Amino acid sequence: MTELETKIRAEAERLLSEHLVDVVVAFRKEDAPLHPQPAFFTQVDELQDLVYNGLCANNLANYLTRHPQETRIGMVVRGCENRSVNALVVEKQHTRENLVLIGIPCEGILDWRHIVALTGENVLSVEENGESVCVHTRENTFAFSRVELLHPSCQRCLHPNPISADVLLGELKPEGDPELMRLRIEALENLTLEERNAWFRHEAERCIRCYACREACPMCYCTECFVDHTEPRWSESGVTPAGMQAWHIVRAFHQTGRCTSCGACERACPMDIQMTYLTDKLNLDMIDAYQFEVGMDTTTQPPFATLTLDDKNRFITRGK
Amino acid sequence: MLTNTYQNPYLPTPMHVLRAYYESTDRTLKTLELSFDNPQDRLAFFRKFNPGQFCQLSVFGKGESPLGVASAAWEGDFVRFTVQKMGAVTKALHRLQPGDPIGMRGPLGNGFPLSKWKGKNLVIIGGGCAFSTLYALTKHVQHPQNRPDFGQIIVIYGARSSGLCMYKHDIQSWYQREDMEVHQAIDVPEEDWMHHVGYVPDVVKEVAPSPVNAVAVVCGPPIMTKFTLPALVQLGFPPDAIFTSLEKRMKCGLGKCGRCNLGSKYICKDGPVFSLAELNALPADI
Amino acid sequence: MAYRLPKKGLDQTLRAWAEQSKVFAPQKREGYAQFLPWKAGVELLLDEPHNTRFPPKAFLLPQSETLLTYNRKLNQLETPTLQISPRIIFGIRPCDAHAVALLDTVFATQENPDPYWRARREQTILIGVGCNQPATTCFCTSVGSSPFDHAGLDAIFTDIGEAYLVETFTERGEALFAGLPQAEANDEGQARSIQQQAEAGLTPAFATDNLKDHLDQIFDSSLWNEFAQSCLGCGICTFLCPTCFCFDIVDEAQRDERVRNWDTCMFRIYSLEASGHNPRPSRAERTRQRLMHKFSYWIEHANQFGCTGCGRCVRYCPVGLDIRAMLRKAAATPSEVVHAN
Repeated sequence: MTELETKIRAEAERLLSEHLVDVVVAFRKEDAPLHPQPAFFTQVDELQDLVYNGLCANNLANYLTRHPQETRIGMVVRGCENRSVNALVVEKQHTRENLVLIGIPCEGILDWRHIVALTGENVLSVEENGESVCVHTRENTFAFSRVELLHPSCQRCLHPNPISADVLLGELKPEGDPELMRLRIEALENLTLEERNAWFRHEAERCIRCYACREACPMCYCTECFVDHTEPRWSESGVTPAGMQAWHIVRAFHQTGRCTSCGACERACPMDIQMTYLTDKLNLDMIDAYQFEVGMDTTTQPPFATLTLDDKNRFITRGK
Repeated sequence: MLTNTYQNPYLPTPMHVLRAYYESTDRTLKTLELSFDNPQDRLAFFRKFNPGQFCQLSVFGKGESPLGVASAAWEGDFVRFTVQKMGAVTKALHRLQPGDPIGMRGPLGNGFPLSKWKGKNLVIIGGGCAFSTLYALTKHVQHPQNRPDFGQIIVIYGARSSGLCMYKHDIQSWYQREDMEVHQAIDVPEEDWMHHVGYVPDVVKEVAPSPVNAVAVVCGPPIMTKFTLPALVQLGFPPDAIFTSLEKRMKCGLGKCGRCNLGSKYICKDGPVFSLAELNALPADI
Repeated sequence: MAYRLPKKGLDQTLRAWAEQSKVFAPQKREGYAQFLPWKAGVELLLDEPHNTRFPPKAFLLPQSETLLTYNRKLNQLETPTLQISPRIIFGIRPCDAHAVALLDTVFATQENPDPYWRARREQTILIGVGCNQPATTCFCTSVGSSPFDHAGLDAIFTDIGEAYLVETFTERGEALFAGLPQAEANDEGQARSIQQQAEAGLTPAFATDNLKDHLDQIFDSSLWNEFAQSCLGCGICTFLCPTCFCFDIVDEAQRDERVRNWDTCMFRIYSLEASGHNPRPSRAERTRQRLMHKFSYWIEHANQFGCTGCGRCVRYCPVGLDIRAMLRKAAATPSEVVHAN
């Protein structure tokens, strides 16, 4: 057990034993190597299963909307999860007073697929030691520096620290470099229209319509997603280019001003499809056009969810 | 038209709408009577058809919808369905006019086990638009050739209101028949309503049909079925003499697409008609 | 029959096949193993311990396929010609071929055989490569299969070092290897010991004695809620599963086509009825359906588990739900009264 895990367990134990929360949402030790599971602790004696490490790949804020507003939830949050929680509070999906956020300054999530690509399929365990990561496989042991195993979204992370946690465990990390995300998007923007189109098609064409990206995303909480709607039908349902492209582009648009760039969608995708380039582009547009970053507080509505008379677009002004 | 070498069970039979008329005053129920474009399709259909079976009706561009057959074979060379307006396909079915083309796959499913019911009294209990397959059953047993196969026939049919009662004129004529007993019910009292008022399970208790040498068959909305089955058990009907027709979301109708399973049974292929004894052995996944 | 094919002769063999058929073989693209058309010079992935990421069932049951086209003006229907050209899937793992044999019990049935499946199946030859070193996520031996299972295969390769031992099981498999030297007793002996070793390396992942009956008895258990708590409700486990076959039939009006698409019991809308009623309203019932289908209902349908232990659902579940652990937990859950209705 790491020092950080001890602290998290102690905090979870305090919250549960003092009846300050009904459930603690965190991670439990894995059944299959590389895959710690989101877990829901309601009893103190279950907490021995609680783990926290670089392989905890899900955005736990995703589970917020599964609970009624009255449920008092303690949740382990990293920078992105804290912002997702804030965004959900802004969208009235939970009451902030009923949340206790256990904040963890994040070292970044290790990309298990990258690990497998480098070490082979038969990983038995992963040992983290600060900036170094040791991977034990059935056949070998490999040593890496953490940064080379980070998930791409975490490499570009702007806000690794929880910004409004109720309890902060661990030492604050330096803020990320905003240029990294910008450079990636600019590189795509500098392509010709045909090249960009080819990039988009290439990513979308591997889609198997499993909707893991949707289900992994804390902001995709609609009871009925547009692709499941039958009257009218908004997109083809099969794995046709039209259907797959419609899904990817509309999913991204629905995230405008709502996505925290956590990358949970890409980490869930079974076909390794890149999709954060769409949401990151929209996030940059939100910054450039509205100086807006989602989830930095629990009150500011995303620009596209608000109506103001001084909006840049003229369509809201009658007669002009 | 068909270029593959196998009999293709996904290919609908071409049909035309022969008659289309509203069944309920609120226009949520519409009856379609369909005729076959090809005589060989008609022959193939009636060779297999048994009351209690259903068909997949196709509106091209909208999709398919499973509907119970509401006519008996002797009524003529057509197949009758009563369609409740619900989703995209049933809305499109409601727009059809006489002469319009339509596709049909079927008959599908097992239908009522009529040969096992020979010599028995029949207690036919229906509610809402699910009565349609029981209407087919009643029409079937009414035919002079079939009638001697069965003993006493009691029909209990409930609807929410008189305006939602289906096949009104025909059912009205059943009261004149000496070979059957009819009980109609609506949920709440209305002026000029001469029959029962109340929910179907209560009417069943009131009519109290005898379980001796009898089978009871129940088709209705889930809530009605849920309370009628125990009422029949209480009257002394054994579980293997109580039958019901189940509905679930269906696509292929062939036991392949997977979605209509109830435990290891597929409602489309192994049903839709099950005895209560069979249902008691299956998980409550409905 | 058993033949010996030296590894350096494989290219020539594939070349000869490719003159007669389309040949697909596992290759790495986008960073993972996929079945792609074989061309001279491509690098094959035959000794990776794991499977292609996307299951080869798609060769027989494409994820989306047109069932028929309709001409609304003429009121005419047309089905695709289904003139499938012959193809050879080389390098399929025994678990995936076993899955094809299982799916035959659904689609190649006596009554209402599926014409689309059958047309493809008849033209598809499956040549397996057995697994000398199963992966840590593999559990084929726990579900009645093995790293060198023959089910569904026309022939199987066993890697014996410098060469493959090729064993054929069907006439069409046999025809592909005519002219190769017959295997020597030594080759066969070597292959058997490799096969036994591979099998011995897999320990039972969960208890299968009475598994079906036990699952039937815990149908109403709260265990399913426990699994459902973390389950995302995505389609990964079922879409990547080589035995999952559920599909939806949809009209694509703009193309005047009726299409079938893979569907999954893990989606809410799969069982949602037009009335709004859903027999499986939450992830708990849906998770239960997935496990019950594979480990109880399949037994009743085909007297086999609907799982071949390929391990894809274990590897790619985004929340780390491991079907082996789920079944172990199920086995440890005390039985209750059988469906109290």
